[in-house]
Amino acid sequence: MSKYSNDPDMERRRILQAVAVTGLTATLGGVLVHPGAVQAATPRQGGRIRVASLSSSIADTLDPAKGSLSTDYARHYMLYSGLTQYDTDLAAQPALATSLESDDQIHWTIKIRADVQFHNGKSLTSADVVYSLLRHKDPAVASKMAAIAEQFSEIKVTGPLELTMRLSGPNADLPVILADSHFLVVPDGTTEFRTANGTGPYRLKSFQPGIRTVVIRNENYWKPGRPYIDEIELIGIPDETSRVNALLSGDVQLISAVNPRQTRRIHATDTHKVVETKSGLYTDLIMRADSHPTSNPDFVLAMKYLLNRNLIKKALFRGYAEIGNDHPIAPSDRYFSPDLPQREYDPDLAKYHLQKSGLAGVRIPMYASPAAPGSVDTASLLQEAASRIGLKLAVNRVPADGYWSNHWMKHPLGFGNINPRPTADLKFSLFFKSDAPWNVSGWVNHQFDELVVAARAESDEQKRRQMYADMQEIVHTKCGVGIPVFISLLDAHDARIKGLGSIPIGGLMGYSFADHIWLVD
Amino acid sequence: MLMILVAKRILIAAFTLLLVSFVIFAITSLLPGDAAQELLGQSATPEIVAELREQLGLNQPAHIRYLNWLGGLLTGDPGTSMVSNMPVKDIIGERLPKSLILAGLTAAVSVPLALLIGILSAMYRDSRLDRALNVVTLSMIAVPEFLVATIAVIVFAVQLRWLPSITIVSPDASFGELARAYALPVMTLCFVVVAQMARMTRAAVINQLDSSYVEMAILKGARPTRIALQHALPNAIGPIVNAIALSLSYLLGGAIIVETIFNYPGVASLMVNAVTSRDMPLLQACAMIFSGAYLLMVLIADIVAIISNPKLRHQ
Amino acid sequence: MTRIQGSGWVGLLLVLMWLLVALFGPMLAHYEVGAIVAPDVFERMGGAHFLGSDYLGRDVLSRLMNGARFTVGLSFGAALLASASGASLALFSAISGRWIDETVSRLMDALISIPGKILALVIVAAFGSSMLLLLLIAAISYMPGAFRIARSLAVNLNQMDYVQVARARGEGRVHIAIFEILPNMIHPLLADFGLRFVFVVLLLSGLSFLGLGVQPPDADLGSLVRENISGLSEAAPAIIAPAMAIATLTIGVNLLIDSLASGGRSVTDEAQR
Repeated sequence: MSKYSNDPDMERRRILQAVAVTGLTATLGGVLVHPGAVQAATPRQGGRIRVASLSSSIADTLDPAKGSLSTDYARHYMLYSGLTQYDTDLAAQPALATSLESDDQIHWTIKIRADVQFHNGKSLTSADVVYSLLRHKDPAVASKMAAIAEQFSEIKVTGPLELTMRLSGPNADLPVILADSHFLVVPDGTTEFRTANGTGPYRLKSFQPGIRTVVIRNENYWKPGRPYIDEIELIGIPDETSRVNALLSGDVQLISAVNPRQTRRIHATDTHKVVETKSGLYTDLIMRADSHPTSNPDFVLAMKYLLNRNLIKKALFRGYAEIGNDHPIAPSDRYFSPDLPQREYDPDLAKYHLQKSGLAGVRIPMYASPAAPGSVDTASLLQEAASRIGLKLAVNRVPADGYWSNHWMKHPLGFGNINPRPTADLKFSLFFKSDAPWNVSGWVNHQFDELVVAARAESDEQKRRQMYADMQEIVHTKCGVGIPVFISLLDAHDARIKGLGSIPIGGLMGYSFADHIWLVD
Repeated sequence: MLMILVAKRILIAAFTLLLVSFVIFAITSLLPGDAAQELLGQSATPEIVAELREQLGLNQPAHIRYLNWLGGLLTGDPGTSMVSNMPVKDIIGERLPKSLILAGLTAAVSVPLALLIGILSAMYRDSRLDRALNVVTLSMIAVPEFLVATIAVIVFAVQLRWLPSITIVSPDASFGELARAYALPVMTLCFVVVAQMARMTRAAVINQLDSSYVEMAILKGARPTRIALQHALPNAIGPIVNAIALSLSYLLGGAIIVETIFNYPGVASLMVNAVTSRDMPLLQACAMIFSGAYLLMVLIADIVAIISNPKLRHQ
Repeated sequence: MTRIQGSGWVGLLLVLMWLLVALFGPMLAHYEVGAIVAPDVFERMGGAHFLGSDYLGRDVLSRLMNGARFTVGLSFGAALLASASGASLALFSAISGRWIDETVSRLMDALISIPGKILALVIVAAFGSSMLLLLLIAAISYMPGAFRIARSLAVNLNQMDYVQVARARGEGRVHIAIFEILPNMIHPLLADFGLRFVFVVLLLSGLSFLGLGVQPPDADLGSLVRENISGLSEAAPAIIAPAMAIATLTIGVNLLIDSLASGGRSVTDEAQR
């Protein structure tokens, strides 16, 4: 398999709180019907929508390398194209690259699609691609992907439409990595992004950071017939109730990050629909192995048994979640190990382990924040359950502002939130490997580390599956991370919008809705 | 006399602004993290943070940064936003007019309404009307602003679909569209400020109605309306204007909740943005605007009070 | 002068009721404040749960009885702190020389001109959230207002004949401030205190909207409204009950103060923020 070092894009988690719904009151008329577009299921062209995702601020950017929030990703996927793109299983499909080939997973040859034009009419060449990838290594660019780009040892133009890449180590996941929005392709030499000159499905019409982005259909898009909608306005509505209200009042036609509590309202209409995307997103209870008292294995087990997973799924997420088993692989993931017994809520066992740990009666602070969705309510439930077995947990709710830099992983007992990652390797190597910067629990397990490296190099699918199963078991039994549920991504839309599916890397169809949806009357 | 007073007040205001800028700078320098870290989030590697700090000038000592900023401000340049790399002037220039429109519309609706309620209550003190208005204004104060806004959205935007739920105004909007877009936020803000102003107007007018010269007028047989409008009101203008000024200065910075719920791109949400991203130049600029607006309002109120009451001019 | 009448009694009754709830509510609450006890969320009134259930299925009545003390206590504490410190500072400023007076006044102007909610955001981001901090934020936000009123009262009283007489007698400044000026300020200050209380209640509920407040599973009245906002479209008692609680508390305090203050000169015209 492949190796990824770091995905720095932690800010992406904030997407969960922020909802951006963009869209003007859609003028649904003036639809251009393609010749031959007769069936209802056939996409049709035309219309104008406003989409709201969750956040928007003056930090909004048109530079793909600097994207930090869901609204940025959605904006960038509208304006630019990447070498590859995710499919619904998070595998990489060709996009601007027609092929990426390697024998040793270190040396890669990439062939570029011919006859692709940037919005200003310039033709795409391999020089543009080389520039787009190498700029992440320049500290002055301050790319979010700087750490991952470190593995790009050498990138060379070998023809007008061909380039070669040498990595610092084997990485079979390179095609998947390149589907990330930060690696979208910009013209060679670009340092000024105000015109957003990309090869994406839409061209920029206007951009006001923190207010709105308006894009219009790119007639010269390299995917024939696409995109379908004439004009899209993307805005951010951070307040989750306002976002749903804006959808139901018809002011916007598509929103992301719907709070499960609000789904009842949306289901009650027949004009709007909810789209659930089962994902690898989770909010985890972090018990640091390098601090007291959370380094005590019995205390860790007691806390894991105190997590009432069914209640969390039902009360907090209204069923829009999958039960987790204290490891980062979701039941919907192809590497999920069904043989590992499910840990259940068990106050008696929790009490047994608590007493064994000798910490009964101790008062321990627990940090939660709206920054990690569901953590404040989960903390509240834990506090209640703990008080029944003689453990005093003091919930410390801290503001979302600055949570990731000031609180996350910095307290013995606290919460974090991890966004969906495309591969099992990333899920383990980023957050569980002993030497990873985001080894959230601070544990050290050499057997696990060796498995991570071995699985990455393993080409036999069966063997790799077994390795991932072993890793799930080790994390499940020994790591100071409690993962109660995997949270579904919820989008909601006007029923006249068609073609919105699920790409489980993020909401709004993995932020790439603009490439896929169309409007009907 | 008046000119000297105004000049003096402006000097004092400048001093107060300086004080505010210092207080803001001091408090925010206590905030954990800086713009470079917040900008990079978790992707921050030490080299990139260092590079970005260098670019943003964050590696200079705090007092030098403060003096630089102050020097810039004195020459009319409030600096560049660290986060968006745009001139603060441009960002404020985009947002401030929007905030002023919202505040202006709210003032245009709320001030006459508050005066009407206040004067009516005072004229018919202790009548059934007065008591009814009292309960109405009290109830208006008593409901949290975000609840008023949310109820209004659910009723008028979601259920009835008369008005938009968020304020999005395209540059080429017609007057009708504008009025519709602003209806709910203005209504919510009016809810917040009308009650305060009305109650203070009532108190000020009653204060005058109780004074000896009004009693004289009553003895001479003047009609209640005449007494209220011709005798009591002119003398109550000072305190009333003061109350209005204070209420209106709330409309810029205090509109944060309304801006959030209606997704209105005003200065208050800009300032919250600036706090979370540790964007010092922008934060300072917003603080200056709020303080400046407050001081201006108070100054206007004082001048109106002096003009309306010649006795004060000679104090 | 401090005779209560008519609506004042209603106010007194409401205030007393909330004081009782604040003092004894936690003891009387039937359920744990954080316990999920109802099978469904946003249940109607009546049945097993008198005021229905909240957004997680917790008992609304129990949470309300638990939360009242935070709102009442915090608001009372903050208002008291704001009024007391504002008045003391005003007295000090009024009897001190012109320069001190000017400086203190400008400092207060600077404080009053920074929007309270944003100040709160900055302070909480810098120091974290705690009860004490909330109390201090609210107190700092409303202290300048109390100062303005008290100072204008003190300056007026300072010119009064009996104060001049006392000064002619050769009494010290501190003596004059405490024994001549202060007693004559108490009544309007009391009325002002009540208003400040109401402002603090509202500030706290505003802060809960911005995510600042007492630590879960506890919640003050404003937070109770905020956390159940998604129940608004179904008119759930979980949101109506705490909203009514805030309304009755603030209206009660206002009615009581109105009737107390109607004897004296109104101070409401200065009592902003």
